[in-house]
Amino acid sequence: MALSTHTTPSGFLLPSIHSAPPFFTEQPNPNTQAHLTEQWIRLILTYARHRRLFILRVEDAEVPGGDWDEILRNERINRRVPPSYISSLMAGMIAKNVAVYEPPKQTRAVMLYWRLPEEWADVLHSWATATGQLNTILTFYEISDPPIPSPLSDIPIPLLRRAITILMRSNRAQIIGVADGEGVRFFAATK
Amino acid sequence: MALRRYTTSVDGTIPVPALLYGDEELLASQDGVGIYDCLQKAPDHQSGTVHVSTHRLFFVHSQRPASYSFTMDLLHVTRTNYYAGLFKSSAKISLFLDADTALLSNTTSGQGAEVFESWECEVCSHRNPPGLSPSAARICALCGVPRSAVVGPTTPEPSSQSKSTTPSLPVSSYSSLSSSSSPVLISPQPSTNGDSDGIACPACTFLNHPSLRVCEMCTTSLPNIERVGGMRAKSAPSSRPASPSPIGDSVDAANLLIKLSFRKGGDKPFYNILRRALKSQAWEGKRIGLNVRSGTSSLAVPSPSRGTTPVATRRSGIDGIMRNVEESAHNTETDLNDSLKDLEAIMVKAKDLVHLAAELNEKLTASSTTTTTISTPASSVSFAAPGTQSSNLFSITTLVPSTEHNEAKFIRSSLSQLGLQMSNAPITPDMIRDERKWIEELARELAGVLQGSPDDIPGKKSVGMMKERGIVGLDEVWGGWNRARGVALIPPSTLLQVLPHLPAYTSPPIRSRVFKSGLSVLHMPPYTHASFTARMVGYLVMCGTLTTSQIAQEEGITIGLADEMIAAIEADGVICRDDERSAIKGGGSGTASEIGWSRNDFLDYIWDGQL
Repeated sequence: MALSTHTTPSGFLLPSIHSAPPFFTEQPNPNTQAHLTEQWIRLILTYARHRRLFILRVEDAEVPGGDWDEILRNERINRRVPPSYISSLMAGMIAKNVAVYEPPKQTRAVMLYWRLPEEWADVLHSWATATGQLNTILTFYEISDPPIPSPLSDIPIPLLRRAITILMRSNRAQIIGVADGEGVRFFAATK
Repeated sequence: MALRRYTTSVDGTIPVPALLYGDEELLASQDGVGIYDCLQKAPDHQSGTVHVSTHRLFFVHSQRPASYSFTMDLLHVTRTNYYAGLFKSSAKISLFLDADTALLSNTTSGQGAEVFESWECEVCSHRNPPGLSPSAARICALCGVPRSAVVGPTTPEPSSQSKSTTPSLPVSSYSSLSSSSSPVLISPQPSTNGDSDGIACPACTFLNHPSLRVCEMCTTSLPNIERVGGMRAKSAPSSRPASPSPIGDSVDAANLLIKLSFRKGGDKPFYNILRRALKSQAWEGKRIGLNVRSGTSSLAVPSPSRGTTPVATRRSGIDGIMRNVEESAHNTETDLNDSLKDLEAIMVKAKDLVHLAAELNEKLTASSTTTTTISTPASSVSFAAPGTQSSNLFSITTLVPSTEHNEAKFIRSSLSQLGLQMSNAPITPDMIRDERKWIEELARELAGVLQGSPDDIPGKKSVGMMKERGIVGLDEVWGGWNRARGVALIPPSTLLQVLPHLPAYTSPPIRSRVFKSGLSVLHMPPYTHASFTARMVGYLVMCGTLTTSQIAQEEGITIGLADEMIAAIEADGVICRDDERSAIKGGGSGTASEIGWSRNDFLDYIWDGQL
């Protein structure tokens, strides 16, 4: 198995393991599978960070043309990740606390934590500080879709809410009801 | 009157069980019974025994069973009444009879004769055995298609006088009807009711349009309306007025009854059994054919006919077929048990035969060795196996040395053709007392079967089961061994007991192995887990990826076996699989897919992708 790395059109450097056909089959041997799951989670999270993807669905591997094509499918070796395998990979990610089912109470889609909610909270607060928006009320929309692209662009609302909840625990943010929905006000860190 | 119209006389000297139909069952008997015809005592039937079966009621006269015994179909009975008895009046059971179903006269002897005819079904060619009750005999036991529906009463119906001489008529008990009704059966009866009734399919009961010739549903050919005058499925309404009796004696329907007077008690249990027999309506079970025919006669003329009551349970269609299949399966089982018993008896005989063969074989061997070593006319008397129980038939046979070889060869070949070839007799427990010793001897014998015995007759090469192959399933070993033994077959449990001793008697040692799925095999050293793993890894290093079938081909073993062995290796984590179902294009046939195997390089993989 002379495998080599490969760079995708989006500029992502695929690991050599991605060219091994058995990588796309769920292994019955638990030991082997544990290794593979580890590699897969790393690959998925790395790629998600690279492409700023937050949601992974079971269907993503079935239809070509999706965001995840570059890693869930490998046309060079004629392999793709079967839906059942994605499901078990999702379960593995949730067990490792790097993803949650989103929306909850289903197993078809997960929200990926390529940054943990705590890290997002820090990013959010530092963004608010850097852009001088402390003590002003911001809607969720203003955060997830700011006029100037920020590290928080396109962040899913549930993830944003989690980050804000973490900030609220340390008294760095406050949820405020505004006319059309909710808003948030950030405070300077009280250290 | 009732007695005359509803009963048929039987010869009471014949024991009742012999009078029953094939599907009839005797339920109860009671002696000391007198019969009342309507309300009067029947003078000829004052003491006798009554028997009730699932289909009929028998009366056997105690003094003159030959002349005054009779039988009556339970199907005539509409209701019963029980009178417990008072002072000198004994307990009585009244049987009220259906005026519609009266027999015309006592000339129904043809009914009995036609029962004992076997006939072939036109639809499924099933040969129906004789001896069933008239209603059951009317339809095919296998497919439930009425006999008359296919045959059709196209055969000219003879007059009632000739009934007893032509018992094989397709028309069954209806032939016993008066001759006035028989021409009607043949004569066309166009647009009988003017209604739009269809023709009922005899197989699936679907009502087809009258102009159709075959059933729309199941394409069974339909009874032809032209040939059979109005062969309609509609049975006559049960409220139809009672047919006028051709005999002329009009009897009040309320008085149509027969009373059983129990002079010696036993009335209560008998009544219960009788009621149960009436309720179960065993004669109704196969009434489909009767139904079709009753429709004929009811449409034809207001002549007395039987079986005009609507049929509650039909034995046709899927249900009937299923039940027939069940029944035949049951019969097969009993037959099989019987034949197995026979087989056991044969086995006892065969044992002697095998003994004889063994002795003969031994003698041949002995004589051939003596002729080769000592060039004297060897008599094999001294080589007769001592202590064997079989006759001395062969021990006095002296073989002429010149022709001996050819003869011996001939005898051996005939023996082997008979499946009796053996180098020595199979070991049986009665030869060896000690259990442990027995098992060991068995192991030795099995080793011979598997590898070919080294102490074989010179010139005759014996090939063991595992000579060509390194791995054999346990079932095959068991079968092959028992085949080689021929008698005193070894049960699987004993085979399992023998297996641990096997390596001691085989070289190279043959061991047994049980796979995860429960599959057990015997294998040579090259097929141990370790050596197979090494070989497999070697293949994979050379070829990269191999499928299960490629490996099976490489090893010369079955795919199932290869699958098991590879699964064992996979459990070690040495190899990993690549399922074709993960392919983007092609891959698998939807239900099954080939699995490719490659070395497991993932365990020591170091991430070389994007960080």
